[in-house]
Amino acid sequence: MAETVYAHESVAQADAHAAAAHIEHDTNTGISNTKLAMWLFLASECLLFGGLITTYILYRNPLEGPTPHEIYDIPFTSTSSFILLMSSLTMVLAVSAIERGDHQRLRVWLGATALLGATFIAGQVYEFTVFYREGLGFTTSRFSSAFYTLTGFHGVHVTVGIIMLVSLLVLSLRGKLPEHRSETVEVVGLYWHFVDIVWIFIFAVVYLVPS
Amino acid sequence: MALTSHDDIPTDVLDGAVKPYSRDKIYVLTALFLAAITVVEVLTYAAPDFPLWSHEHNLIVPVLMILMAVKFFTVAYIFMHLRFDKPLLTRVFYSGLVVALLVYIAVLSTFRIWWSDQHN
Repeated sequence: MAETVYAHESVAQADAHAAAAHIEHDTNTGISNTKLAMWLFLASECLLFGGLITTYILYRNPLEGPTPHEIYDIPFTSTSSFILLMSSLTMVLAVSAIERGDHQRLRVWLGATALLGATFIAGQVYEFTVFYREGLGFTTSRFSSAFYTLTGFHGVHVTVGIIMLVSLLVLSLRGKLPEHRSETVEVVGLYWHFVDIVWIFIFAVVYLVPS
Repeated sequence: MALTSHDDIPTDVLDGAVKPYSRDKIYVLTALFLAAITVVEVLTYAAPDFPLWSHEHNLIVPVLMILMAVKFFTVAYIFMHLRFDKPLLTRVFYSGLVVALLVYIAVLSTFRIWWSDQHN
């Protein structure tokens, strides 16, 4: 039977209860403030990315410079998308691992997620470089500005996610990420999955929908 | 006692969960499902003459939007645990999503994006 540990107890007391410990949050909702705050943040992020995607849709047919479908490399972007999608699997496996107290696998899955995210970012840097060499600079057209702003903002979000994942990995290696703090991994996971679902949207609307 | 990857998560162990569920197997199957949908999405580009979304039927955008929505909600429900967490979190997320959709549909409508070809 799981033992209940209250959020106001000290970390040392909570560590002593670890294994199948459950932090019962003494909030009105029964949900921890951190987790609720992350969901509120993600809800607000819908507005941010909605604005960027809408701007892209409005300006997707450029009056000057290369057109989207002259420069997009769909097979390459599809591979990047697949890599980011699979990073969601490794992320959720990391959350699952810490919830059952398997720290070894937690580190493996966190490392794999960060690596897949870094691969995606490397692909994006490569794509931007190719586009720039083909004449699509940030100020070439309204389309190029909207495209680079949208995908660049997403790339920054992925980069922030990678930093958080590496931080979790370091914390885990130093033994500062016990089971009862699994929610920390879960909250970072929520952010990571959100970054993935935003890309699901971008991949379809920006790359696959014909002009 | 430590759980294994084959065990269900008891409701009282998983923070905020309201339903027990088996974990890693569901996650891997979900990822395979998402990968399969991605393949179909890419096929709309690689095989544009496939009857379902060929130029003749002009269904490529609806097909892509449906596939995108399926992927979006699958990740939100399974990987982000909305299916299993307290309903308040679903409402919080949907409130942001719905407000964003309404606002930007209004913006696109203001710019006459849906019927610009006929009226310009």
